[in-house]
Amino acid sequence: MTKRLKAAERRASILAVAKILFADKGYHGVSVDEISARLGVSPAVLYQHFPSKEALYEAVLANISEKRDSFVSAVLDGNQDFAGVLKRMTHVFISSIAHDPDYLKMEILSALEGADAAKRFFENRWRSFADYIEFNLKELTQEKKVDPVNPKVASLMFQGMIREALYDTCIVKTERYRELKLEPLVDQLVELFLRAINYRP
Amino acid sequence: MAEFDLELDARGLNCPLPILRAKKSINELSSGQVLNIIATDPGSVKDFQAFCKQTGNELLGSSEANGEFIFQIRKA
Repeated sequence: MTKRLKAAERRASILAVAKILFADKGYHGVSVDEISARLGVSPAVLYQHFPSKEALYEAVLANISEKRDSFVSAVLDGNQDFAGVLKRMTHVFISSIAHDPDYLKMEILSALEGADAAKRFFENRWRSFADYIEFNLKELTQEKKVDPVNPKVASLMFQGMIREALYDTCIVKTERYRELKLEPLVDQLVELFLRAINYRP
Repeated sequence: MAEFDLELDARGLNCPLPILRAKKSINELSSGQVLNIIATDPGSVKDFQAFCKQTGNELLGSSEANGEFIFQIRKA
């Protein structure tokens, strides 16, 4: 039992260190020797857990792309109108990413590399927003509480805004936008989105 | 299958839509009545546990078959 636990701990530590290095340098910028050195073990130890660098990279992507936020509190902690829930969902999401910017880097890398994990990143993180916006806009359009809009276009617009805000504030940190802090920036972007669809609660 | 008073079909919906619709459905029930929910999002298992814990409604049971998750919630 103790031995199994140690193996699990070792595997977890390999994944944690590999995530940091892959996020910083990409798949091709990191060697097994570098990961092993950072862990303070020999490459042989690493190969006991992962048969190749590719297998390790896939495991890192699988591990991180399965991460999923719960929006239960976003629903319950306030009124349940479209805008209120959307704002609270967005804050849960950006807070989670801001605490783990490597997640965003890995998502971008997986998309550039065409990895299957890119689909899982969407399914486990962005799909909640896509579903929520598209489903509600269909109902709100019928109720004439928004202007007629293609729900998929609107949901893509929303995802693009939030992704760019996260990308700039958590990774690139452009001088030009330095005064824009993530939380108030996202509040303004959500307001712009609601104005764009002419939301009338 | 246990008896219920209202059924919510949340198949194909991802969090938070099943929770949001469940909350609206429960609002239509009287205390003691049961809502039956069918969902396909695997995350709904943890979500409905958290939902009941936070709202005080009782999760009477849950089951999974063929990729569908069934929950029965009794309104507090």
